[in-house]
Amino acid sequence: MPLPCRQQLRPGPNRQRLRQLGSTKKRKKGYAPSTRPLVKGSNLCFLFVKHKYTNSFRVPCSLLIISYSGSAPHRPRRPRHATSPPPGGDQSAIAPMPLPTMTHSSSFLLPSPPAEAAAAADAVAYAVIVLNQRLPRFASLLWTRAQLRVCADGGANRLFDGMPELHPGEDPDEVRARYKPDAIKGDMDSIRPEVKEFYSNLGAKIVDESHDQDTTDLHKCISFITRNPPGPDKANLCILVLGALGGRFDHEMGNINVLYRFSNIKIILLSDESLIFLLPKTHNHEILVDQSIEGPHCGLIPMGMPSSSSTTTGLRWNLDNTSMSYGGLVSTSNIVDDKKVMVTSDSDLIWTISLRNHT
Amino acid sequence: MDVMVHSSSFLLPKIHQPAKTPANNYTLVVLNQHLPRFMPRLWAHAKLRICADGGANRIFYEMPQMTNDQDCETTRNRYIPEIIEGDMDSIRPEVKRFYSNQGSTISDKSHNQETTDLHKCISSIRHRTPSHEKSDLCVLVTGALGGRFDHEAANINVLYVFSDMRIIFLSDDCLIQLLPKTHQHEINIESSVEGPHCGLFPIGAPSTSTTTTGLKWNLSEAKMRFGSMISTSNIVDSEKVTVQSDADLLWTISLRNLT
Repeated sequence: MPLPCRQQLRPGPNRQRLRQLGSTKKRKKGYAPSTRPLVKGSNLCFLFVKHKYTNSFRVPCSLLIISYSGSAPHRPRRPRHATSPPPGGDQSAIAPMPLPTMTHSSSFLLPSPPAEAAAAADAVAYAVIVLNQRLPRFASLLWTRAQLRVCADGGANRLFDGMPELHPGEDPDEVRARYKPDAIKGDMDSIRPEVKEFYSNLGAKIVDESHDQDTTDLHKCISFITRNPPGPDKANLCILVLGALGGRFDHEMGNINVLYRFSNIKIILLSDESLIFLLPKTHNHEILVDQSIEGPHCGLIPMGMPSSSSTTTGLRWNLDNTSMSYGGLVSTSNIVDDKKVMVTSDSDLIWTISLRNHT
Repeated sequence: MDVMVHSSSFLLPKIHQPAKTPANNYTLVVLNQHLPRFMPRLWAHAKLRICADGGANRIFYEMPQMTNDQDCETTRNRYIPEIIEGDMDSIRPEVKRFYSNQGSTISDKSHNQETTDLHKCISSIRHRTPSHEKSDLCVLVTGALGGRFDHEAANINVLYVFSDMRIIFLSDDCLIQLLPKTHQHEINIESSVEGPHCGLFPIGAPSTSTTTTGLKWNLSEAKMRFGSMISTSNIVDSEKVTVQSDADLLWTISLRNLT
């Protein structure tokens, strides 16, 4: 039977690495010594009892938080088995190893990022990818932050049409020349001919990958950026993706799957309302929240796999070795209560936080 | 294993309804996002229309743009929801007053902050539907996708929590619904209104075996999970798609340009 196309069957680089590494990972349950639960177990029990009738626990918010930190080494991941472990967890005899911490920050959304952050030796190098949806209001800001800008096929149309709209009163072609992509990549079935010609004349690299129908345009762009990273190395790379959420649902799911397939790379999906990123289970996560640009609404989402134990600090309704799953508890409409949110989980989670209107 | 039959006949103009449909008791729930352009068609099919809080604002302000009525007042008088339910923190006072005066039941659930407005609406629909009518019931929801991501995730969780009910989320671009693992599924495709792009997603837990027919790239006891293979940008290749899986899957299909 021929392999189905466009179903992301081709293993990404991360998956091949998983096959080579066989290391085990055991997460230490409970809190790191420096943290303490903000919500007592008894309070959480009370919330759960209230929703008994739904046969599921509802925590007002949950979002998966995925954070990346440029400085923490990426821990090799244990190969996943096809069947999930029982809810009780795998009680093997291997001693738990402490997890490294990954730090995350949305400082790229600040109007003027801290000068010392940009000058640091391990400064983050940003790349921006524009997919085929309306540009968010902060597209110009992220464009100037980035050192590498890529459009995925029809994303070039959005850039062409949308940037002049974000800069009313200025000459449209001058705006377009100022915000030109370094590369346009994909299967080229959406980009308008005049848009392709315009950016090609300005020096944008047009990379036609219509021969490859096995991966999405976003996947192709991520691969391109990892092969041509803007900074000195991939360790401090952060890829910001515009237009990945909303629109056709299968596109959105495919884009979220890219976060999982490239889980060793910082990738943040942004819309006007919120941002999301993956929190790999291989790390404890420290999410620095700047309330001038984001929050307060947030959540943690066990997309694709239940979590038998997640723990947080810094949220209005914290998790305390709590199970989360679709059909059960998913943390949504939570509130960030601190400048720093900590998340530890036995499962990969998606973190999301709302963006302020003026961001 | 029982077979569950699905059809998007509610997207057809009312006059073109096939003689036999899997469900003919439609309830419409309107959430607080831009109305899809085919809203008048959904409204016509539904026996009961519920606005979840700010969804009432959407009907009040956006319906007039979708009809050929001469003035807003005529439209507003024609599209009155039977119920407005939720925590009432988004509905505008003038909108609440208007519909209340027109006879809509205002069901204020602001004391309950533990569940979303959609959850409250689905829960009350279930409570008020007699058992013998449950199999015929299909809830159509607009405004559940897009917007704030945690809202979308919570809405999708409602599909899983109420997995014994037919609930379909609709947007301008697509529809999604849950295919519970407890059944084999037969999806009748109305190609005049939907397709060809479709997909299947194991959002809650991986699938070790999924089999389909009727797609361009069918699955044959295939494994699916996030981080590996999920079915996106597939194409419907037949009038009937069948799906059988060991995991609950979300089915999606694109919608054609309906007005």
